[in-house]
Amino acid sequence: MGMKAAHRIATFFKYFVLILVGLIMIYPLLWMVSATFKDNSEIFAGISLWIKNPTLEGYRNALNDFGGSINIIQAMINTYSYVIPKVILTVVSACIAAYGFGRFDFPGKKIMFSIMLSTLFLPQVVLNVPQFLLYNSFGWINSPFYLAIWVHCAFATETYFVYQLIQFLRNVPRDLDEAASIDGCNSFQTLYKVIVPMLLPALVSCALFQFMWSCNDFMGPLLYVSTPAKYPMSLFVKLSMDGDTGFAWNRILALSLISILPQLIVFFCAQDQFVEGISAGAVKG
Amino acid sequence: MSNAISRRDFLKVTGAVGAAGLLAACGGGSSSSTAAANSAPASVAAPTGDAVELSISWWGGESRHEAYQKAIAAFSEANSNVTVNPTFAAWSGWEDTMSTKFAGGVAEDVCQVNWNWLYNYSGNGQTFIDLNSVSDYIDLSQWDETVLNTCVVADMLQAIPVSMTGRIFYWNMTTFNKAGITEVPKTLDDLMAAGAAFQSQLGDDYYPLHLGGYDRMIMMVFYLESVYGKDWADPATSTLNYTADEIAEGLDFIKSLVDNHVVMPLPTYYGNNGSTAAHQSNEWITGKIAGILEWDSSASKYQDALDDENKAGFTVGEEIKFGDYNGGFTKVSMGLAITQTCQHPAEAAMLVNYLLNDEEGAAIMGSECGIPASKAGLAAAEAAGAVDELVNEANSKVMAFCAFQLDPLFEHNNLKADGTGIYQEVFDTIDYDGVSGAEVVDVLLDGMESVGYTINA
Repeated sequence: MGMKAAHRIATFFKYFVLILVGLIMIYPLLWMVSATFKDNSEIFAGISLWIKNPTLEGYRNALNDFGGSINIIQAMINTYSYVIPKVILTVVSACIAAYGFGRFDFPGKKIMFSIMLSTLFLPQVVLNVPQFLLYNSFGWINSPFYLAIWVHCAFATETYFVYQLIQFLRNVPRDLDEAASIDGCNSFQTLYKVIVPMLLPALVSCALFQFMWSCNDFMGPLLYVSTPAKYPMSLFVKLSMDGDTGFAWNRILALSLISILPQLIVFFCAQDQFVEGISAGAVKG
Repeated sequence: MSNAISRRDFLKVTGAVGAAGLLAACGGGSSSSTAAANSAPASVAAPTGDAVELSISWWGGESRHEAYQKAIAAFSEANSNVTVNPTFAAWSGWEDTMSTKFAGGVAEDVCQVNWNWLYNYSGNGQTFIDLNSVSDYIDLSQWDETVLNTCVVADMLQAIPVSMTGRIFYWNMTTFNKAGITEVPKTLDDLMAAGAAFQSQLGDDYYPLHLGGYDRMIMMVFYLESVYGKDWADPATSTLNYTADEIAEGLDFIKSLVDNHVVMPLPTYYGNNGSTAAHQSNEWITGKIAGILEWDSSASKYQDALDDENKAGFTVGEEIKFGDYNGGFTKVSMGLAITQTCQHPAEAAMLVNYLLNDEEGAAIMGSECGIPASKAGLAAAEAAGAVDELVNEANSKVMAFCAFQLDPLFEHNNLKADGTGIYQEVFDTIDYDGVSGAEVVDVLLDGMESVGYTINA
């Protein structure tokens, strides 16, 4: 009895602490949801979730179309029309590049790997102008297919993912490659029949990260998309934010909430694979 | 480990690639600044009536986006051969984008520009055309010459002021009434009396005025200009006109406002709000801060932020004369410029004229970009009832009072930035350490010198 009671109390406290910390973590998100129903003065008056004068203005205004040039649906479609190719190309190209670095010896491998890694430390700000000039000479600025935003991903330019995959690949035993080649696989068959299934959790986490980063990318679209009808969500959300004369925050928050819904759905669908992918490199087998 | 990289290899390569990146970046910048040499023609080719495509860019909020697009549609209706492609966004990130486009020579034909862009991106006239070359298509007589002259950079009229702006006091009279004051402060004595009345009638939490770091700098310049009657710095050469002693006096003036309970001490403000802007602070919303010194264009932002009890008390104040002169500066709040890369400057000029001067166009634009600086534009906008009354009241008070000019370095980001700027550092030091103006004036002067001011003192 005594043991049982002590166990119950321990469980109670565990759950109590977990729920408390969980609430603190999720509070900003809950606040954001409640703030979409408040007006400006109420938003800045406090951090309570309680809504004194509920209003649907935020959601109603979120559907405004800025003089008919762009609306929320179109902005969503625009976003995914470059995010999806970007994610696919990143995963494929990063995987091939990582396979090359992780499994083959070739002249200049060390130096090339160093060059690749060093690009990891180049801040985007430094790249903006030269990249812009380059894409300009290709005629890719304001391209209707967003070429300047996603084409470079076909060349394993997302170094972070290449690096992550190489680390992951080190934990995949080479015996598997050898077994595959004994069974008659060539290099590419080894990659997609043996390595890719082993790397799957890491690939999913690459895809998820790239998906989130691309959806949130603001400067890229701002630089390379000038036609309002082609604006993606990240620009659309901010279109009404006029710092000088003020703007309604509930609308911005409502828009943000709508725009993160697809990301949340994708994340929850891939959650199991994702968590495995992040932690998989942690313990060396 | 055969595929491990030695630390030395790694550093070597990182350094080499980094240096190459830097060279590439610099090369891009310098070549573009020399490539587009100053080639403003005496006058441009007349419009032919052939089909022409123009592009225009601006930043702003929703109502501005809508006004511009409506005006552009009306313009294309009146000039059926001209198609105008707009591009627009909010302010954040916009300057980065535009500066990249200027460097790449692909900026839009007509650009809404900030005044200091003329100096930053077209200091030699490499980016924008001389609008005197299209004066056949823009009626320049609608602007005062002094106003136009503020946009003359490198001897070229590089932009046309859409609107002028300056700072003015706004008061929350609901709180003032509670403290037993029924009239807006008109003199320094009124201000000091309000500070005392607030403290005795309402308590230590109530202040008649709030000034952030940058606001204090503007207030100090306002004060010095009132007393000494000269611009803060030469508008063309950014040579500082004040001595260290004079500036120390200005800093002490701000300190006296804090000491006399007129202005909320910065530590108190930060303690409650962090770096949040005043209109989002609880003190402003609930009336504990009952006054600000802000741009005329920000009137509605501050009014809308007030809660129901205080909203009705929002009042545009009077400029205060601190000395023998009318202090305060006005500046171009934004301009329209035509880029050197524009293929059809005559049509672009017609578009600019339509937006700013035309009876129909200016009426559509109203006060969306501030109170029009063009006389014809203002008349048209007023006739159409498209002018924000509150902003108009504030703007006319500013324009009637403030006589001094701003220099382009005053708003340099290293000086005015929230949190990291020199202005804030100076006033933070005064409030936190209780030091006098003379002890911090060197920090201010060093900071100003580092961004390019010439200091003779």
